[in-house]
Amino acid sequence: MALLPRNLSFSRQLLPVIAVIGMVVAAWYIVGSLPDRTTIAPAEQPPKPVGELANAPRVAGAGIVEPASEVIDIGSALSGLVTDVRVKPGDKVAAGEVLFLVDARAARANLAQATAAIREARAAIVEAETAQRTARQQLALYRSLTDPAAVSRSEVIRAEGEEAAATTRLGLARARLAAAEAAAAASRTEIERLTVRAPIAGEILAVNIHPGEFVATQGGSSQPFIQMGNTDPLHVRIDIDENEAVRVKLGAPAVVSPRGAAELHVTATFVRAEPQVVPKRSLTNSAAERVDVRVLQLIYALPKTDRFRVGQQVDAFIPAKSAPAGGGN
Amino acid sequence: MLWIAIRMLTGDAQKFYGLLFGIAFSTLLITQQMTIFVNLVQRGASGVFNAPEAEVWVMDPVSRTTDVSYAMPATALDKVRSVPGVEWAVPHLRAVANVRTAEGDLEGVAVIGVDDATLIGLPRRMAQGDKSVLFAPDAVAIDDTGAQRFFPAGASPIGARLELNDQRAVIRGIADAIPSFTSTVVLYTRYSNALNFVPGTRNRLSFVLVGVSEGQTPEQVADRIEAETGLKAKTRDEFAQAGIDFIIENTGIPTNFGITVFLGFVVGVAIVGLTFSLFIRDNIKQFGALKAIGVTNGKIVRMVAAQAGLVGMIGYALGVVGTVLFIYGFSANPFFKGFYIPWQVPLISLVAVVIILAITGLIAIRSVLRTEPAAVFR
Repeated sequence: MALLPRNLSFSRQLLPVIAVIGMVVAAWYIVGSLPDRTTIAPAEQPPKPVGELANAPRVAGAGIVEPASEVIDIGSALSGLVTDVRVKPGDKVAAGEVLFLVDARAARANLAQATAAIREARAAIVEAETAQRTARQQLALYRSLTDPAAVSRSEVIRAEGEEAAATTRLGLARARLAAAEAAAAASRTEIERLTVRAPIAGEILAVNIHPGEFVATQGGSSQPFIQMGNTDPLHVRIDIDENEAVRVKLGAPAVVSPRGAAELHVTATFVRAEPQVVPKRSLTNSAAERVDVRVLQLIYALPKTDRFRVGQQVDAFIPAKSAPAGGGN
Repeated sequence: MLWIAIRMLTGDAQKFYGLLFGIAFSTLLITQQMTIFVNLVQRGASGVFNAPEAEVWVMDPVSRTTDVSYAMPATALDKVRSVPGVEWAVPHLRAVANVRTAEGDLEGVAVIGVDDATLIGLPRRMAQGDKSVLFAPDAVAIDDTGAQRFFPAGASPIGARLELNDQRAVIRGIADAIPSFTSTVVLYTRYSNALNFVPGTRNRLSFVLVGVSEGQTPEQVADRIEAETGLKAKTRDEFAQAGIDFIIENTGIPTNFGITVFLGFVVGVAIVGLTFSLFIRDNIKQFGALKAIGVTNGKIVRMVAAQAGLVGMIGYALGVVGTVLFIYGFSANPFFKGFYIPWQVPLISLVAVVIILAITGLIAIRSVLRTEPAAVFR
């Protein structure tokens, strides 16, 4: 107690002061360490309805961007090796433009064969015509003679026979020409069938074949050779839960935001509603996915913008009929 | 006159410190045990507090807490988004999975799938790394207490590879999260990743987290969601309370801690009561003398109250400071992570101290009030 002034009492004066200081420090610590249980605003904007829809009845749905023509999986009429691919993803093609070529060597050989046969048939026609002409001249000469004794009857019969034989040979040669021409046309058609062309004007979305690969017309499970579609305008296919489907105001424009860019709100115009309600196609890519939910699919056209791509997922809000079904407030 | 009472009290150091000890001990016991109790049962709501953006939680009608939930079909999200007053709604997946570590050990973990685009549902802060690391392929963030359990001290879990449901997962960040009641290791990942990490079942969506439009209260919106979708919607506070209630209903924790708090109270009453009575009886002559010189009973009651007040204040302060030191000292321990002293708890123990002193003071003072001034001569 030597440290303390003589009149200071530890228990009467110091201890209460220490107690008060301790209380203050404890209170400060307690208040300072209270946990922060407030809610915070999201750092990134989640998809949300904006404008009039924010306070109006609405239906939400998830959708996928697709071309206006839907995605066309280009097939090949004939099997064979790919010799040339003329397009790459992103190319804009006109209707009828060549997409890729399948090996046409066999068909070309057939064509060459048929062409040779045509030439042979033409030569045969010329030969038969010459023979026919000669025979007719001979026959005409015999017929023009007034003296029946100038030529024997057998000579005349022989000349008549030669003329008839030449005529028949000519007909045969003509028939052979027609056959060869038909064969050539068949080969040309086959060559044409080995050339795969764009069925509509549009954009190439995917190219899954390369020169040297084999395209098969059987077994449809393999991935499509080339995917294309009309991407002007882009459409978006929005899935609406069947329970909500009755509430949708058909024909009203929808507000669409791409995933990950929810601050972007695009107004899409109504195109049509699919007549059939289908099981929801799951977007999780899981092979074991099962569904018990059916959805109404609505098609909307997107305005021209480079923010959307085919296959992209979007969140959409669609106006609902004013009285919400299912009661409530 | 009151000063005389204080001198009288501190004059007998043994009994004075005995009284202080009694009050301080019961304050410490009551405050500290109630603090741990409150924090422990609040672990049941840690899942709610770890998603600070959500104002309303939507779930299947049979779901009870963040950890006892039944999954909904994926279109529930769109149903909730269709409800007026819902500003935004995002999917939230909570499931358990088995993880294989690099050492080949199998460990049960909780997988939490947060919204792909906005990462709503992650804890408020990251202890290491940025929230955006989750955008990397196969990325997960582990919670900090889980990281300490999973990895030896000193080893950084960042970059460690795990195997979840035959899928590769790479730890790219550590989340600063409140541990769950069971202290399960928690892996945060994006919703689409979580679908792969958790073995497939038909429905996967555990919760829909909802933000409320301006001008609406979470209660209104929750009621409307329940009415229009048929799902169960709880506000943040309600759902946190549901988690706490679940722990209280399903564990013996309230009984255990309740017994300890009650014992603290009883010990306080016993020690303080005995010591105070002894102290008063020892000083009965002094009180007699005071009465002899004309001090009224009211004054004497005030004197005893002053004595009790001083003992109570100092003892209570020591007990509260002891609790603060305890919590502060153990704050680095993962078990005590996030523990705090709710401001109500010291007030409750203050009330307890006042009751203890009132009971014991009243018992002790009875003899004084009955004392005749002549007692000073006996």
